[in-house]
Amino acid sequence: MTDKRKAGKKSAGGLAIAKRRFVTGVTIPLLLYESLGIFVLGWAFVLMFFDYSSGRVGGPILGLGGTNPFIGFGHFIEMIKGTSVEANLFRTSLKNTLIFAVAVLPLNLAITLPLAWLLESIGSRFKALYRTIYFLPVLTSSVGVALIWMSMYDPQAGWINAIIRFFGGTPVSWLSDPRAGFAGVSVAMWAVILAYLWQDYGYNMVIFIAALQGIPHELKEAALIDGANPWQVFRKITIPLIRPTMLFVCVMTMLSSFQVFDIIQVMTNGDPGNQTQVLMLDIYKSAFRYQNMGWAAAESFILFLIVMTVTIIQMRLLRTDWEY
Amino acid sequence: MAANTFPVSTVRAAKPVPWGKFFSRFLIYFVLTLGLSFTLLPFLMMILSSFKTNVEVLRVPPTFWPETFTFENYKTIFNDPDLPLLRFYGNSAFVAIFNVCSTLFTSSLIGYMFAKFEFPGKKILFGWFLTMMMIPTQITMIPSYLILAKLGLINSLWGLIIFSAVDAFGIFMLRQFCETLPNELIDAARIDGASEWQIYLRIILPQLGAPLATLGILGFMHSWNAYLWPMIVLQKIEVRTLPIILTWFNSTHTGQGALVMAATVLIIMPILFVFLFFQRWIVQGFTMTGFK
Repeated sequence: MTDKRKAGKKSAGGLAIAKRRFVTGVTIPLLLYESLGIFVLGWAFVLMFFDYSSGRVGGPILGLGGTNPFIGFGHFIEMIKGTSVEANLFRTSLKNTLIFAVAVLPLNLAITLPLAWLLESIGSRFKALYRTIYFLPVLTSSVGVALIWMSMYDPQAGWINAIIRFFGGTPVSWLSDPRAGFAGVSVAMWAVILAYLWQDYGYNMVIFIAALQGIPHELKEAALIDGANPWQVFRKITIPLIRPTMLFVCVMTMLSSFQVFDIIQVMTNGDPGNQTQVLMLDIYKSAFRYQNMGWAAAESFILFLIVMTVTIIQMRLLRTDWEY
Repeated sequence: MAANTFPVSTVRAAKPVPWGKFFSRFLIYFVLTLGLSFTLLPFLMMILSSFKTNVEVLRVPPTFWPETFTFENYKTIFNDPDLPLLRFYGNSAFVAIFNVCSTLFTSSLIGYMFAKFEFPGKKILFGWFLTMMMIPTQITMIPSYLILAKLGLINSLWGLIIFSAVDAFGIFMLRQFCETLPNELIDAARIDGASEWQIYLRIILPQLGAPLATLGILGFMHSWNAYLWPMIVLQKIEVRTLPIILTWFNSTHTGQGALVMAATVLIIMPILFVFLFFQRWIVQGFTMTGFK
């Protein structure tokens, strides 16, 4: 460090000027670009207090005011106790988003953690092959995933109903029957949850595998020598040691499932009867199909609050008091 | 106590349960292979369906192996004047390459600056970046669209590029990496008379190969598979990127399952092989950063 200071002094002011010029040359375009970011953010914030539609001309500044009137917290009040179609749809979407996220998280963990643990325990040659294949759906475009699963869910020619018929069950119109349900959740919702899980589990698996590889071998060996069985090792050593990773995975999975869009938009577009209408889909439709952008901005703000809350809880929980 | 001095493997082998061990091995591979089949079968169904006729694909119960193996679907797609696949590949590639190049350039330059330079307001600026990282895109989606509409960039591929020129996350990652580079390296170059830009280009950039490769392939994948934002911005057919073309093709060819599966194969498979090739970087990027 002292070398640096000496060098700086020796070459007089020339070096400092060159450095300053470099920093200025980088920061000024950056600040301009970032002020665009601030502008966009500010606009998003203002928009939710207006009944704004890009179809109307409105006032002189950003089209706000005039035919796009200021309504204060009107959108939020409407969301809580309104009876309009949009308000009902918003509450349905919020409920569906919560159902989706709450169902995805435990199912995902129940698949990824055991599989990662098993995968970690086998020889390295097979491990690489298995991991690569489990990872394939993560790399696949979600539109592709949605189309593949739509063909599997086809009520007549789809494979899932073929299997059900083979075992003597009655076929189900997975993506279009509004009455069928399981555990209080519609089959269409379960169908998109399954497709989403299929695409996503490889991602959490590689994170878990990395965490499991980080556990020192001596700990497991020592426990085994002391007479612990593999299940005890898993419960008493592995699980506590990967706790930070588990929390991290939980939060990331939660966050991405709160923001689910692609798969559902392609597979059901919210149907049947809005049973798979999630928040992102509702925001998209409000803003770009019905041009109700003020309302959509207010909805995005609610989604943002949820995402923020989860992130903050993550930061609290992720603190650990020990290291290994 | 004596057991502790034995190599661990000997201790394990001495356990009188070779049977149980064999059984548990078998069980492990069984479960893993079950999961593997569940992962692979949908892909296999897609590929097999794409070689069936549109009549066979509707049959109940479905056939596993195509009865009449046909390339007709692929021929139809290649000869479809409404579906110039190469053009759509070009659109996707254009956006992805521009996005990757611009984020790699800005992330490395700004990351380097944050790591190795002192200037007033540095902490505030960096804090601002961290905050930007946490703001999900859907909150800025609507005003961004309105801005593009004002600029006349709806239906332009540039509309997908300008808002992702600077990536807060990339800056964060490369700052971490640049901090590990020795100051002596930079100072030596300065004493030898290199200009600050020369130092960045000749000394710093070559050191950043690994993180830039990771960031680049992740960014490419992200851009290539992006759906929501391109769907909003690109409304005319000829400028669309591959994922939107795929949904469009699906909605205009209902009842032609085999044809849609062939299109899906053509649109998702080639790039899947490329991603597989770079899998190591992608996995490394995911585990290092934890971001998708």
